[in-house]
Amino acid sequence: MTFALQFTIDVLSLGGAYALMALGLVIVYGILKLVNFAYGELIMVTGYTLFLMGGSGLPWLVMAAVAVAMAVVTGVLTDYIAFRPVRAKSITAVLITSFAFSTLLQNAALLFISPRPRNVPLPALFSQTVEIAGVITPVRNLVTIAAAVVLLAVFAWAMRRTVLGIAMRAAATNFTMARMLGIPANLIISSAFAISGLLAGVVGILWIGRIGSVVPGIGSEPLLVAFIATVIGGMRSLEGAVLGGFLLALIDTSLNYLLSQELLKFRDAFTFGLVILILLWRPEGLLKGPATGQRT
Amino acid sequence: MTRHLLTAAILGGFVILLVACAEMLGIRVFDRIATNLCISLILVLGLQVFMGNSGILSFAHIGFMGVGAYTSAVLTIPLQMKGMALPELYLVFKGVQLSPYLAIPIAGLVAAAVAAALSYPLMRLSDAAAVITSFALLVVLHTVMTNWSNVTNGPRTLFGVPRATDLTLAAGVAIAALLGALAFKESRTGRLLRASRDDEVAAGALGLHIPHLRWRAFVLAALFAGIGGALWGHFITSFSPNAFYLRETFVILGMLVIGGANTVTGAVVGTFIVTGAFEGLRSLEGSLNSAKIFSEQVIGLTEVVLALAMIAVLILRPGGLFPSREIGAIIVRALSKRERST
Amino acid sequence: MLELTDVEVRYGAIRAVRGISLKAEKGELVALLGANGAGKTSTLMCIAGALKAAAGTIRLDGRDVTSATPEAMVRNGVATVTETRDVFPDLTVAENLTLGSYIRRSDRAGVAEDREKMFALFPRLAERYGQPAGTLSGGEQQMLVIARAILSRPRILLLDEPSLGLAPVIVDQIFEMIGVLKRSGLTIVLVEQNAAKALAVADRAYVMRLGRIAASGSAAEIGATTDLGALYLGG
Ligand SMILES: Nc1ncnc2c1ncn2[C@@H]1O[C@H](COP(=O)(O)OP(=O)(O)OP(=O)(O)O)[C@@H](O)[C@H]1O
Ligand SMILES: [Mg+2]
Repeated sequence: MTFALQFTIDVLSLGGAYALMALGLVIVYGILKLVNFAYGELIMVTGYTLFLMGGSGLPWLVMAAVAVAMAVVTGVLTDYIAFRPVRAKSITAVLITSFAFSTLLQNAALLFISPRPRNVPLPALFSQTVEIAGVITPVRNLVTIAAAVVLLAVFAWAMRRTVLGIAMRAAATNFTMARMLGIPANLIISSAFAISGLLAGVVGILWIGRIGSVVPGIGSEPLLVAFIATVIGGMRSLEGAVLGGFLLALIDTSLNYLLSQELLKFRDAFTFGLVILILLWRPEGLLKGPATGQRT
Repeated sequence: MTRHLLTAAILGGFVILLVACAEMLGIRVFDRIATNLCISLILVLGLQVFMGNSGILSFAHIGFMGVGAYTSAVLTIPLQMKGMALPELYLVFKGVQLSPYLAIPIAGLVAAAVAAALSYPLMRLSDAAAVITSFALLVVLHTVMTNWSNVTNGPRTLFGVPRATDLTLAAGVAIAALLGALAFKESRTGRLLRASRDDEVAAGALGLHIPHLRWRAFVLAALFAGIGGALWGHFITSFSPNAFYLRETFVILGMLVIGGANTVTGAVVGTFIVTGAFEGLRSLEGSLNSAKIFSEQVIGLTEVVLALAMIAVLILRPGGLFPSREIGAIIVRALSKRERST
Repeated sequence: MLELTDVEVRYGAIRAVRGISLKAEKGELVALLGANGAGKTSTLMCIAGALKAAAGTIRLDGRDVTSATPEAMVRNGVATVTETRDVFPDLTVAENLTLGSYIRRSDRAGVAEDREKMFALFPRLAERYGQPAGTLSGGEQQMLVIARAILSRPRILLLDEPSLGLAPVIVDQIFEMIGVLKRSGLTIVLVEQNAAKALAVADRAYVMRLGRIAASGSAAEIGATTDLGALYLGG
């Protein structure tokens, strides 16, 4: 029983973080067909913003809000500076640009801050543990679950109930038609990057909360996680991305318990091998995205 | 035909000129730079063979460089060093010690074989699925290299690889790769593949089996990468799996993108320019560090500049410096134009 | 009010529209006829801003709108019903309609009123209100895209083959509705395969062949002088 609870908390907290990561990647992919390699660096930006504000004496929540805001701004700016000028040219050019931009941000952090880990201010809550029905678990896991639930609920609501949300869903299936109804392309794209940045920011704080410090390469692992979860979830479906995040967490957590230490080292090879197989079988991802086919 | 020969002669001439300069100068550092340049050139040309002809971005390329490097290392590390360099090596390889000059081509073939076996089904995919799978393949190869300690010594540095690569060898192989890339581009497969790149639907309608064409290019690219990796291993003599990951991918891709992925000329020019710029920036980094102007070590400057250059090229000149015509074709056209005008 | 001068549209090397000039006056219904591949859809998409004109100019009330974006064209009062009947299949009928009135979203009362009008015109849509648009029948989807286009309160409506693939009864309904819209003072450019039906509602007509205007005149003239059968077979 305690094991089941432990396992559930592990899967839900890891899955919550994964789901948010995947969602942030898919929201941009769905609209622009752009796999944004620089997504992980939004997490990095969050971390360094938090680090730089460490001595400011502001309340932690204010610092966290500023850090998330920085991720949003960076996300939108990346689009303006790097992607917008090449977007019309070719999808490959945009992909290479996003890869280059990711390297640029990482190395800028190496150059201007430091290759060494930097401690970020975290509230005491992040290092405390609680006991629930005999299971001792870090509070930050519960915080992660709560944050994921709240964000996913708000996100789902916004996508269904606000005009902008409906417009974004429409643009993801048929961008040109959406524009032919008067929905401005740039508004949709900037919103997608802003949401992506917001999700990366929140995930960044939760993720860094586990580690306690930030390094230039901090975004790599979340990026890979988001890739896999997205592929599992279907690359064009927002619900799929969320589900993919939780499924991946379930797989990861199970493998942690099941695989021997020897094989555990190859876990990434297994999961990425799985990714390749899934894409071969279904190039659009495991779960179906919104239909593009039209009935006539 | 003349324009292809002219292209080959001019680009080969660049490499020979480089070797001549290095020999004449006789400075160790320059020799090292020139050798590295030739090895990079082999890798960039390999990537050009696949990307330039198929139009698909591949992230897996550097993974095959790693396969080549480790294969050649396992086959050549001297017997008396094997116990120390690769303590967990499989018994069958314990008694093997080949000449590097034999092991390098074998390494290329092994990389090509691995690519051939893994990649066939992947070639159906285009767009985002193709990019993510090739990226996933790189991660898989990297994870295997990092953890298969029986043949790679795990994440730790593998040392004891005999030094065998010198400038002449690297330059010779680079010229061969150059000819190979040009020949492939003009071969039937290369032409059909380029037709499919420009119009996938029409090429499919002609009954071309595009995945098969792509696969041939991919395997040839892996052959180049494997040989390049082996040469590099025998030059640097010790390395770890991290040498074959995202940073190297970024550098090689940057060279190709800046020069122009669609042409062999672009691959060569990009390699020369980026290597030159890199060495300049690295020495700047070095002198900044030794001058202790900043409290911390200056690192990452070269990558920042390369990334900016890549983005600038993609924005201003998306096809790179040589977007569509080879240097030979450009010269022949210019000459015939002048003839007509006089 | 809408005027095209020597407009060209290219897809790479393919010249789909090779310099056409046409006009639609206020309140007019202009039919654009021609065989498959004549370039009718390309012309409409170019007016709508979804395709770039390679040459020529497009004017709206005398203003040059040649390089306007699709969203700007909607704000200029041009609404488009595409040939491919682009409903957003995962969005409900209601959500599709909401996007139709996107540019008027501050005018809530007006939008609600227009919505009611649309439901009066197409009662089927009211019944299917909360259903994903992808599950509608072809005819219902056609009604939806027309209603959605009209909710932007356009001054000009571009209609691309509204009768395509629909049962005769539905086609009659759609043409009836086009008549209603015309009487309400809307300017309409109608692309149709069904030349007889189109000419019956049109004021004037243009016949396109291989990207050029082959004939033009009043609907009656075109109906009398042009061999409509040959028009569609001849290409
Ligand atoms: N996306 C495209 N890429 C390449 N060629 C295209 C494209 N769209 C249309 N064409 C070509 O342009 C020409 C005109 O096409 P268009 O769709 O405008 O014709 P149409 O008059 O609307 O025909 P239909 O009556 O069949 O709808 C055709 O030859 C077509 O093959
Ligand atoms: Mg048409």
